[in-house]
Amino acid sequence: MTDSNRRLDRRRILQLSAAGLAGLAGCGTGSQPATDSSGSDGGSGGSGSSDGGSGGSSTETSADGSSGSQMASSVTAWSWDVAAKSLDLIDDPYEEANGGDVTVEQFGRSNMKDKFKSRILSGSGAPAIATMESVDAAAWVDTGGLRDIGPWIEDAGVKDGFVSGKWGPLTKDGATYALPWDLGPVGMFYRNDVADEHGLDLESVETWDQFITEGEKLPDGTALMNLPPNDYDGIWRMMFRQLGGLPFTDSGAVNIHSEKSLQVARQMKRAHDAGITSSVASWSSEWFNRFAEGSIAGLYGGAWIEGTLKAEIGDTSGKWRVMKPPAYESGGNRATNWGGSNLVIADQVSDAKARRAFDYMQYALANEEMQLKMYREYGLFPAYKPAYESDAFDQGSEFLGGQAAGRMFAEIAPNIPSYTYTTDTPEITKAINSEFKKMISGDLSPKEAVDSAANQVAERTGRELA
Amino acid sequence: MRKQTRDEAIWRFLGYTFVLLVTLLMVVPIYWIIVASTLPEQAFLSAGTDIQLFPGSNFFANLEALQARESVDFIQSIWNSVFIAIVYTLLSLVLCSMGGFAFAKYEFRFKEPIFYAILATLTLPIQLLVIPLFLLISQMGLTNSYWAIILPWAANPLGIFLMRQNMKQIPDALLESARIDGATEFQLYYRIALPTMKSSLAALAIVLFLFQWNLFLFPLVVLNQGKYTIPVAINELVGAQRVYYDQIMVAAALSIIPLFLVFLFLQRHFVSGILAGSVKE
Repeated sequence: MTDSNRRLDRRRILQLSAAGLAGLAGCGTGSQPATDSSGSDGGSGGSGSSDGGSGGSSTETSADGSSGSQMASSVTAWSWDVAAKSLDLIDDPYEEANGGDVTVEQFGRSNMKDKFKSRILSGSGAPAIATMESVDAAAWVDTGGLRDIGPWIEDAGVKDGFVSGKWGPLTKDGATYALPWDLGPVGMFYRNDVADEHGLDLESVETWDQFITEGEKLPDGTALMNLPPNDYDGIWRMMFRQLGGLPFTDSGAVNIHSEKSLQVARQMKRAHDAGITSSVASWSSEWFNRFAEGSIAGLYGGAWIEGTLKAEIGDTSGKWRVMKPPAYESGGNRATNWGGSNLVIADQVSDAKARRAFDYMQYALANEEMQLKMYREYGLFPAYKPAYESDAFDQGSEFLGGQAAGRMFAEIAPNIPSYTYTTDTPEITKAINSEFKKMISGDLSPKEAVDSAANQVAERTGRELA
Repeated sequence: MRKQTRDEAIWRFLGYTFVLLVTLLMVVPIYWIIVASTLPEQAFLSAGTDIQLFPGSNFFANLEALQARESVDFIQSIWNSVFIAIVYTLLSLVLCSMGGFAFAKYEFRFKEPIFYAILATLTLPIQLLVIPLFLLISQMGLTNSYWAIILPWAANPLGIFLMRQNMKQIPDALLESARIDGATEFQLYYRIALPTMKSSLAALAIVLFLFQWNLFLFPLVVLNQGKYTIPVAINELVGAQRVYYDQIMVAAALSIIPLFLVFLFLQRHFVSGILAGSVKE
């Protein structure tokens, strides 16, 4: 650390005198707080700077001063919000058990993604560990900057422990680039007090049709479900996946105008026309306020959303319940997913750091106890199946009026149909959002909306239409 | 005759209407940011139903929420931005004016190709440069320093181009007579070229300041927390679970102030016509 700082200083002074602004020297580089910055930046500042490809065998004399199969003493992990806080929980027990030190740096989500992607593309300056949403997997793997940890996962024998639906996006051409963390089995959360007040019987609801019938009992101005105009795509994807729909065919053709997608579009339109929906931008404070005052009485969301609600509108604790998502027809599938993250290792870090990183990841994720810790504290729903056997999932949630929602979600999780994300997923998001806006406002029929969305995606990505 | 005045009046009316419209288009968003920053979030997000046109009293509450953020030190980021933009602008003004002077008033080998090469770099979008630049900066050991984003565009190609165009207007005769009076080449630049360029330097200063002020992707990649500039800090408020619109509005409103001061300071210097009558051709 001191060594790299000295080098840093010399270079800086050179730069400064060249610019003729030595007077401003005091305002240049500050101290670098994270050990990892010195590790990665120091690495690139030194002689072996151009190890853009595999930093695998490069043995930088960095803080760890180790090589071969030894583990670095410290690594840095990048994450956001609740995920970062969850990793913080693991830090102390890990240090006690395995002796390594992990520094968690917290970012805004989009900031972290942009920053991490640029740094793995440039082959320098990335942290050893980063959080990756499954949605982004295809794009991140494409950069070639992630380490194939498949062999290590094999060696550790943990692969079968995770929900099978998680692996799809994380593997490519026989390589595996991440260890699954959490997933978001979807439930229909609802305000039980509002339902009671207006005589709704949601517990016996099985299909979307019944759900709409119940919703119509609510007075004007009270919705049973929100369709956020900024995120029609999110609702569509949950409902589409529930039907086992896939956005692309096996051969890669765009298939978001399939019969299943059309079914979803019709369902959303029907709910809107029945007057049971509101249209509030999701994740805004109005969104939370409407849930808090009960004028939106239902929220279709991943299991983790309970934690969010608890944090944002804790006053409503005890008034909520959750049910499985309504099926399209009696007996139909009621399992789907929203969200889910994984941990990856940057390919550019030294072997020693990568080993430490994997050791930590295995400790945090392929580990019943730690997964449960994160589940209890922040509601991150583990993708690691052995955790489901814990009685933590049978415990009633105070926020949900004592309901043991965990067990319900644990039942849903293994039945979630798998789904594909590609680098073209953002195009689908855009197309669905813009065309469904027109559909909801009545300018397009559901059929026209899905067709035109599919055309738009095909046009922009150069893919075939299915 | 009468018809002509009527036509003139119509044109003038149309002209004023146009100017007024453009002004409105420019002022309304800024006004809206300021109003929104003083309202609780739900008050401006539900604007579709009842629009709040006047400031409320929630500014300090929003500001407090902003300052309570763990991962963003917004006040620090204002300082970062101000410092970086000022140092950058000054440094770049010097380099651009020197470069412009050389291209406008000296003959040297490969002058044209070099100039066009510099001009050609204008076509490279910043997004394309982020990764190579980051590599360069990190190999110089400058990651996470202010210099990391001051140096790369210090000799701004647009600035060099503008300065060259402007300095071409300086009469050669003026420089010749100064030479005869015994001025050194540096004095020609410093004593004659620079003072006559005051207004264009002020205009360029604004362009450069804004350029640096608005940079997003490169600072995000190259700087760490604590060194973030304003755009990066604002983007930190887009969380995974929630978008903090109220705090974003306060942050945006606050970030206008330094820009406003810069304009106020520089507009005094938009004086033209200093050269008028300096030589008799």
